[in-house]
Amino acid sequence: MAETLVHRGPDDGFVHVDARNAVAIGARRLSIIDVEGGRQPLSNEDETVWAALNGEIYNYRQLRDDLLDRGHRLATRCDTEVLVHLYEDFGPDLVHALEGMFAFVIWDSRSQEILLARDRFGEKPLFYATTDGELSFASELSALRAIDDRGAIDPLAMQGLLTLGYVPGPRTMYERVQQLPAGHVLRWPLASRRALTTKYWEMPPSCSANGSPLADLVDEAEDLLDRSVCSRLVADVPVGVLLSGGLDSTLVAALARRSRTELKTFTVAYDSGVVNEDVPARATAALLHAEHHELRLTSAWIGDHVPALLSAIDQPIADPAFVALAAISQLAREHVTVAVGGEGADELFFGYPRYRWLAHADRLAQMVPAGGAATMAGLVRRTGGPGRARRMTDVLQPASPLHRNLGWITDGLLEQRAGFYGPRLQEHSHSGDLRSLLSAAWEDIGGTAAAAARLDQGSYLCDDILQKADRASMSASLEMRTPYLDRTLAEFSASVAPETHMAGGGKNLLRRVLQRTLPAAGGGRKKTAFRVPLAAWMRGPLRAAVHDHVIEGRLVRDGWVQAAAASGLVARLDAEDAAARQLWPMLCAGAWLDAQR
Amino acid sequence: MPGGIQQLLSQLVRRAGWNTTVVCFADEGSEATDADMPAQVVRITRARDHRLSVARLAGATAREVRRLRPDLVLSGHLVLGPAVVAATRRPRRATAQFVYAKELGTRQRVAREVLERIDATVTISEYSRELAISAGAPPERVHLVLPGGGSDGSERPDEQAREPTLVTVARLEDRYKGFDVVMRAMPLVRARVPGARWVVVGDGSLRSQLQATAERWGLGACVSFLGAVDDQTRDGVLRRAAVFVMPSRVPAGRAAGEGFGIVYLEAGAAGLPVVAADEGGATSAVLDGVTGLLCDPRDHVAVADRIVRLLTDPQLARRLGEAGYVRQRELSWERMAREVDAIVRSLIAR
Repeated sequence: MAETLVHRGPDDGFVHVDARNAVAIGARRLSIIDVEGGRQPLSNEDETVWAALNGEIYNYRQLRDDLLDRGHRLATRCDTEVLVHLYEDFGPDLVHALEGMFAFVIWDSRSQEILLARDRFGEKPLFYATTDGELSFASELSALRAIDDRGAIDPLAMQGLLTLGYVPGPRTMYERVQQLPAGHVLRWPLASRRALTTKYWEMPPSCSANGSPLADLVDEAEDLLDRSVCSRLVADVPVGVLLSGGLDSTLVAALARRSRTELKTFTVAYDSGVVNEDVPARATAALLHAEHHELRLTSAWIGDHVPALLSAIDQPIADPAFVALAAISQLAREHVTVAVGGEGADELFFGYPRYRWLAHADRLAQMVPAGGAATMAGLVRRTGGPGRARRMTDVLQPASPLHRNLGWITDGLLEQRAGFYGPRLQEHSHSGDLRSLLSAAWEDIGGTAAAAARLDQGSYLCDDILQKADRASMSASLEMRTPYLDRTLAEFSASVAPETHMAGGGKNLLRRVLQRTLPAAGGGRKKTAFRVPLAAWMRGPLRAAVHDHVIEGRLVRDGWVQAAAASGLVARLDAEDAAARQLWPMLCAGAWLDAQR
Repeated sequence: MPGGIQQLLSQLVRRAGWNTTVVCFADEGSEATDADMPAQVVRITRARDHRLSVARLAGATAREVRRLRPDLVLSGHLVLGPAVVAATRRPRRATAQFVYAKELGTRQRVAREVLERIDATVTISEYSRELAISAGAPPERVHLVLPGGGSDGSERPDEQAREPTLVTVARLEDRYKGFDVVMRAMPLVRARVPGARWVVVGDGSLRSQLQATAERWGLGACVSFLGAVDDQTRDGVLRRAAVFVMPSRVPAGRAAGEGFGIVYLEAGAAGLPVVAADEGGATSAVLDGVTGLLCDPRDHVAVADRIVRLLTDPQLARRLGEAGYVRQRELSWERMAREVDAIVRSLIAR
């Protein structure tokens, strides 16, 4: 089972077997801290408590010092050992002491209990299944394949993949396998053999008043982000920055430069499409005197690598940026073992324009009666303009905030995509299930923009952005770290009013920090975020893969998507970019399905 | 609850034994305070705009200096420094400026202008002294006088009635006071001391979010926000609690955090050991290992560790609490008034 995860930890791997209790813990290791001494699983002095950790505990040095102060004896400098001793002091509450990205297991032979825990934002994955009183768990879905009957494919997961572009947790592609949600622990007492899952953390509620002048908030944001970047640069191996040229990664790179004499930056560019990030990224790298590396993704590379990438992923993600991130991870791995990126900034600091539009729609709904708004929407629609005009129509059209938000995150194609569902999904009442799943996470505190950001933090960030970052980087054995997802920084962001965040086009605080840190960067460009020339790829190097996996593969054959709908989209591919956007999730789902046994 | 600066200045005027005229803002209930104040009090009505209010106060100060020709003019806050400097130039009069912390960060230009010209700068902690010198005060003209605090007549508190309760007394306006860090520490504290509670005395704009966060994190039952309460209620809470906690950090940027923290001495008056920051003014108010335990105020695990140590080691808690009680008696307002008086007399005698 552990051997299926060699790409996550190529450096070594061990298994601890407690035969008397029928408990086995295996771990693969990518050595970053204490390269020599950090073998896993690790135990306490009398070998009654064992732990294995996937990820990184950034505050392990302070924790280690505290433990030594309290009389613990530690044999290594490895963060995993800190878990064992913290567990001795705090039991399952040790999670409250940890700052980092982690999924870990602790086996306590004294209390006869297994503890699984996942970090606050879900940076590291943790899958588990409970069958016939047995618990099996792993960092990837594919590792569970080795021992477990994972059951049938979950239609709601498939629906999420095709509609949202990701599998909404805690579901997985398999009915019998679940993900431990972010910020949760799972206890498995051997006596009861029942999983007890508890939430140990969530974002504080959104704030309506700041209580501090803007300048103080900018000071605090800078201080916290700076500390976070520093803590994520701690490694006994080379560290780099994945640079898109946008605000988030530029700011991380600029702060990293303060504490690093040498900085390596990596970016990706395309030989097709309109949006390229190489020029701004190159300019930023020059400003920072960084050793800059660029990767140009050619059509040939796409054709050669993407189908294999999509087939090899353990749980499919239909986020096109996955491809670029996987490619840049491979390049970065040639030079560094750890890379930091800008993930999470948009969700925590209100970067998506959608939040501002939702707030506009809210205000409008309060001022204009529904009938009048609908008429105005009709008039604007008739102008037929693209982009802002379409957004304007959506803003005017009376709708519930959640519905409006869902329409926007699915590119306005929510209903259309549901229309393509085959018989396996038709049984599950189109998008209704998905809506109820997401509406459970919709919390109307602090206004619609705050509710949408909260939904994104709990769903899109965790199940798309972070899974993508983890899978793409781990496919290249690169450890990716995300300074924006520092617990203190995130809680600080929640203590600032959404209006303050959204002022001046969003990410107000971060833009102001960048203006101070790197004035020449001009406060960061508008959002682009590794945007991908999807239509060009699917018309060119991926055409054959589309045919194999969408038209001919299990996706249609097993009844997930209607054959006619799939063929229709393929036929429209050359004329419509929208067809490419609709086909991409189908390609991702199809390639993955065809790779399953 | 009057703010620390207000408390310090009024205690000084009451105890210094000078023939004093006080120029200050008129606030609600100020007549009652003035009645038993051994000084002439000139109250100035505030304007809507803060800057205009300060200008009015500055004008009144200049008028009173011309009228009274005092031996010395003591500026209680940096905002009045420029007026005091200008009004005492001709004819020349002795001057002194009290400085704390926050204003030295937010008014750097004014600080430089005033502190370079004033005869004596009185600071309230080592930290405040460092800030004053780095703001431009000539070191030889900087004096350090620790504030008093607690209550001079307070009886030694009864040691029997302690509950495993942490208490914080502060206005809920300044983020740097570390409410967020204590909140993060609470689950760890409760893992070691299941009955532990945290009581927050004070009100302000941060309260609603802190309260909502406590609820969301399942701490609603063990964290109480009492709001603003009268002195008697506050003293009652302090006397029943086991540890006073307020890990005020030195915030980033221009803001400066705690200048001293009179409230730490008030905790001492109630016999409470303190958990505070190992930076900023608290390091002069709380003696590490003697009257409390100091630690990194951003590290909630360290804060939890210090709290747990005090909750689980009654001997340590009692030793620190008693030392805190003795220290606040020693650092009395009387002592502070004597030290300031000595500075004032030496300036006048020059």
